[in-house]
Amino acid sequence: MRKWLGLALVVALVAAPAAAQALKGKVAVVLDVGGRGDLSFNDMGFKGTDKAAKDFKLTMVEVQNATAADYLPNLRNLARSREYDLIICVGFLLGDALEQTAREFPTQKFAIIDSVVDAPNVMSIVFRENEMSALIGALAAMAAAHHGYPKAGVVLGIEIPVLYHFEAGFRFGMDWGNKKYTAVTGKPANVGLLYTYTGSFSDIALGKAATEAMLAQGAVGVYNVAGPLGIGDLEAITEYHRNKGTRSGPPYYFGVDANQDWMGKGMHGLASGMKRVDVGCYMAVEAVVKGTFKGGVVSLGLKEKGVGISRYEDLLEFIEFGVSAGALKPEDIAETILNWQANRKTLPDWIWAAIDELEAGILAGTIKVPTADSLVEMQAIRARYTLGAP
Amino acid sequence: MREGRLLRGVHRTHTGVHPALESVLAAILGLLVGAVIMLLWGYDPWQAYWALLKGAFGGFGYEIPTSVARGVPLILTALTFSICLRAGMFNIGAEGQMYVGAAAAVTVAYLRLPYPWHLLVGVLLAAAAGAIWSLGPALLKLTRGVSEVISTIMFNWISRFLVFYLVAYVLVDPRQAQRTVRIPFSARFPILVPGTDLSAAVYMALGFALLVYFLLWHTAVGYEVRAAGLNPTAARYGGISIRRTVLLSFALGGVAAGLAGAATTMGLPPTYAIISGLPDLMNLGFDGMAVAMVGRNHPIGILFAALFFGGLNAGGRVMQFYGENPVPLEMVRVVMGTIVLAMAIPELVRIFPALVRAGRALVRRAGPAQGEEA
Amino acid sequence: MISAGARERKRDGYFLRAEGITKVYADGTVAVRDVTLELRPGEIVGLLGENGAGKTTLTKILSGLLPPTRGRVVSPRGPVRFGSPREALDFGIGMVHQHFALVGTFTAVENVALSHERPLAPLALAATRAGLERLMAESGLKVPLDVPVEKLAVGEQQRVEILKVLSREVELLILDEPTSVLTPLEVDELFAFLRRLRGEGKSIVLITHKLREVGAITDRVVVLRKGALVGDVRTADVTKEELAQLMVGRAVGTRAARAVELSTEEIPAHAAHGAAAARGPGVLHVEGLTVPGDTKPVAVHDLSFDVYAGEIFGIAGVEGNGQSELVEALTGLRPALKGTATIHGRNILGLDPRQIYRLGVAHIPEDRWRLGLVLPFTLAENAILGVHRWPQFRGPFSVLRWGKIHAHVRSLIERFEIQATGPGAPARSLSGGNQQKLIVGRELAKDPAIVIASQPTRGLDVGAAQYIRDILVEMRDRGRAILLVSADLDEVLALSDRVAIMYEGRFMGVARPEELSRERIGMLMGGVRG
Ligand SMILES: Nc1ncnc2c1ncn2[C@@H]1O[C@H](COP(=O)(O)OP(=O)(O)OP(=O)(O)O)[C@@H](O)[C@H]1O
Ligand SMILES: [Mg+2]
Repeated sequence: MRKWLGLALVVALVAAPAAAQALKGKVAVVLDVGGRGDLSFNDMGFKGTDKAAKDFKLTMVEVQNATAADYLPNLRNLARSREYDLIICVGFLLGDALEQTAREFPTQKFAIIDSVVDAPNVMSIVFRENEMSALIGALAAMAAAHHGYPKAGVVLGIEIPVLYHFEAGFRFGMDWGNKKYTAVTGKPANVGLLYTYTGSFSDIALGKAATEAMLAQGAVGVYNVAGPLGIGDLEAITEYHRNKGTRSGPPYYFGVDANQDWMGKGMHGLASGMKRVDVGCYMAVEAVVKGTFKGGVVSLGLKEKGVGISRYEDLLEFIEFGVSAGALKPEDIAETILNWQANRKTLPDWIWAAIDELEAGILAGTIKVPTADSLVEMQAIRARYTLGAP
Repeated sequence: MREGRLLRGVHRTHTGVHPALESVLAAILGLLVGAVIMLLWGYDPWQAYWALLKGAFGGFGYEIPTSVARGVPLILTALTFSICLRAGMFNIGAEGQMYVGAAAAVTVAYLRLPYPWHLLVGVLLAAAAGAIWSLGPALLKLTRGVSEVISTIMFNWISRFLVFYLVAYVLVDPRQAQRTVRIPFSARFPILVPGTDLSAAVYMALGFALLVYFLLWHTAVGYEVRAAGLNPTAARYGGISIRRTVLLSFALGGVAAGLAGAATTMGLPPTYAIISGLPDLMNLGFDGMAVAMVGRNHPIGILFAALFFGGLNAGGRVMQFYGENPVPLEMVRVVMGTIVLAMAIPELVRIFPALVRAGRALVRRAGPAQGEEA
Repeated sequence: MISAGARERKRDGYFLRAEGITKVYADGTVAVRDVTLELRPGEIVGLLGENGAGKTTLTKILSGLLPPTRGRVVSPRGPVRFGSPREALDFGIGMVHQHFALVGTFTAVENVALSHERPLAPLALAATRAGLERLMAESGLKVPLDVPVEKLAVGEQQRVEILKVLSREVELLILDEPTSVLTPLEVDELFAFLRRLRGEGKSIVLITHKLREVGAITDRVVVLRKGALVGDVRTADVTKEELAQLMVGRAVGTRAARAVELSTEEIPAHAAHGAAAARGPGVLHVEGLTVPGDTKPVAVHDLSFDVYAGEIFGIAGVEGNGQSELVEALTGLRPALKGTATIHGRNILGLDPRQIYRLGVAHIPEDRWRLGLVLPFTLAENAILGVHRWPQFRGPFSVLRWGKIHAHVRSLIERFEIQATGPGAPARSLSGGNQQKLIVGRELAKDPAIVIASQPTRGLDVGAAQYIRDILVEMRDRGRAILLVSADLDEVLALSDRVAIMYEGRFMGVARPEELSRERIGMLMGGVRG
């Protein structure tokens, strides 16, 4: 029996190049601790893998983790089974565990979102979040200046290098927006930044509390950079409006990862910094199916349509996403769209045009958005764009 | 005495059934209820439990070592709770004591020492940090009469944010801001079974559990602790200093929790560091309380309970991708919770009067000042 | 409210009948064997038996606290089965426990109210208080109503326990050794009240070890021996000797009767001499001792006395007059306010119990459940409480020498005839009397220079009590100093070389027992100097 197996293995190895296309028909997606239902990062990873699995007629298995200590054993269990063509790790925090597993199972193909794992069997998919965050930052600064708010806020999750991309881009964008506003209106704009690393990607209450604090300090809105915490952010904003008796206008909610503008029936979501984790996952599966899978870093930005600021076209796609997740009732779709449009109208057209201008500049390479991958680099950017901080 | 020697100190509960048998019955009951829940939601309990069993104890090369590895920190945090309960106190503080222990363990990354010594220094640092942290509530209780239930919970929060801070600003790896510096190879518990998480930290946990057993049932010091826990007035009558037993049990419990912190940083691949937000550590202290309940607050019982918990954890993960209609993690956790609850109930019921007493003491203290003994 | 029991009584001659009751405990002990017993209205039944005979077990079964292993309890309407004491209470059966079932942090009023109410209903405190005050006047049992009961002396707790059950309109009242810590006067008043209840047609079961009480109040006597019913006779038809013989199963010289005679008969002349003369400070020397109480600022007032080697110094008095506080102060359990106390000339105030024990003190505490024992501990573990650091029990590294400890317990079990399955049995599984024997045995085995004994024979059967008294006398004869605190006047008078009568924290007088008439003692105990 053993011998026979060994023989089969040798045959398989020899035949490997030719049989590269012979798929086992299964992919696994491993989500980070936040898990499904965040309507952003994890759900997007699921969505993209699911779509790819359907398109290429594969079976998809979804694995969640109760704690960070589960990453390694879960990856090992999957790899040990040798049943998967590809194992996708959705999230930076899986990096250490994947590094270990990739070494232990060199023939297993992996992909990871948001982290760079240096192994020949791992496709590392990273995003240039600084680019879309710059667009959101510029929008937030101009909106604040327009409505006479002193601040704009960012609620972040755990202080990991990926989040520095967001913060760096947002800072640059706000600075750009302040300058733009001054240039267009002739009035000096000095919108400051409020930001908090909550230390969590799962505790929704933390998001709500942080947002409440920022609104109390005069934030025109809050950019959610902490996955599910955005649900808490939006809750705080909705309550704020209810107390004030307003239906639209500031304070705004800026979604992340997915297009989250439709959340809360589109009343307060102004725009989202989309990071198309789904696109990344789809790409990885596609590469495996087409036999083009390669280890190494794949960087997705505005140009690759891996990131972007939300527009009307995306709204429809993600309304569908929300409906399928049960977070939006089908009968509310029309109302949601109207709400969203009304909310967008609370800003003058020239601001929206300015955002397009910034995007074009980045695409053309005439505007360079800085980014940070470590605390040291981040501190340099914080020093450069202080945004009201002493 | 009809129980074997090993079961000394495992109290019979209200059913009067032998404790080991009772636990087995409770486990079966929990499994049955879990099966019903899965059936109701359209999952196949047979297949799920088969996956659980295979994932937990399916082999010596991977499954069993993995289950054991999962149990290691739980043994230690459960001991924290049980030692103090034996001394008559509800120490809810294993969680926080473990955090500071872990932070202390990480500091060895700044030292340069050869292999066994480096490891040893880290373990000692963690143990000391846990013990020192636990002395806060102990001293508050002895000097100001503050209920340990309240103070340990508050200390948990303090240590949580303290360690958040340490991780983010002091121990942080400048190139990987999401975590602390990594513990160097010379200070890691060697992996016992390659390709698994099982490290030599298991010997530490095992050794400590046996030590606690010996201490409690075979030394005069442990005798005093247990007497003070079961009947403090009689203990005082017997010339036992309650101050001493309180301090001792808290310190010992703190050491256990500190070692749990060491085990999860110095003995758990792949990170060997504390990640921002403490996701690797979070709740191990509280889970330890459940382990303590299932293990009847007895060091030997805790060893079995921790292995059981480790198995549930290791096997539970397999449930979510085994077979045609795998059980999603949320459902796995519901089923696990049911089993654990069923197994903890007998002990919970047994210590219920003590719980009520602790609660009543709180209420009394909140009321008009009483001339309580110091 | 007319209880169900009351209605049934009218139809038939008995209120409750136990049929073939057998109780086997989880560890295999057969506590009650095939007992059949009828309880009739308007009758007081005495339940007798040696320690461990099964009295408590049988009555717990009757009152619904324990299920029988075999047999059944029937009322005229058919078999009854109580799931809980509360159901038994609702049926009209109340039990006063040998060990109290009180909530320590609650006051007497709260405890009584609690026993009346359904869970979660608000306590009717005012009504309860009024009822209790009436009951206290009727029964002659006085207790402080507004003090948490854990702060009360054992005798006072006993009274609360009795009042708690009396306050329920019960048809069958079971009292498990209610008199062991009451003074003769209180016993008389309690008995008068019980007779009145009997007149009202209630059925009463009284467990006691005092044959005098059996003769004084019961109509019928039931005797248990090793769980079996060995006698069910009319009190009038039986002598104390016959009863004693029934209990032990062999002819005995009625040691019971000798309890009182002891002082004249057995005190050797050479021992009595120490008492009279003042020979300077005694082994235990107390001067101006003032001790705070839990319920009052001062429980012991400016007390001075000496206990000499070769002397038994007795303190008599109604419980709650400062005896407990005095003993606690002398044994390191309670700080004193003023004064001095020395043992062999060394100050003991401010020392902790362990340091005091080192001076050669043994302490038999009044409350065996609160102080004397750790109930979940085994016999072996309890047998070393307070001596667990002695070198014969503790080796290097603080390791306990279980072998030696077990040998020690076995010798205690043998010498004191403690009924237990072995050194590993939990103390909880012992009968009340056997628990007391364990404590007394442990303390006396220390071979102390001074014995401070509170109610040392509480709950012991006649033989065991006599054995303990003999030991105390023997120790006295061998030059030990003994401080004896007891509510049992007979015992104090019989054993003591000198007696002090304590009232409200002060000695009303110190005298040799033969110098005092019972009447005079009664007056002194009531605070009348005359
Ligand atoms: N919970 C228990 N478990 C095991 N054995 C028990 C338990 N309770 C009592 N026993 C045993 O049952 C026997 C009868 O006990 P019981 O308490 O009824 O005696 P008793 O007649 O009330 O004695 P006493 O006069 O000392 O109070 C004793 O041998 C005792 O050791
Ligand atoms: Mg009894």
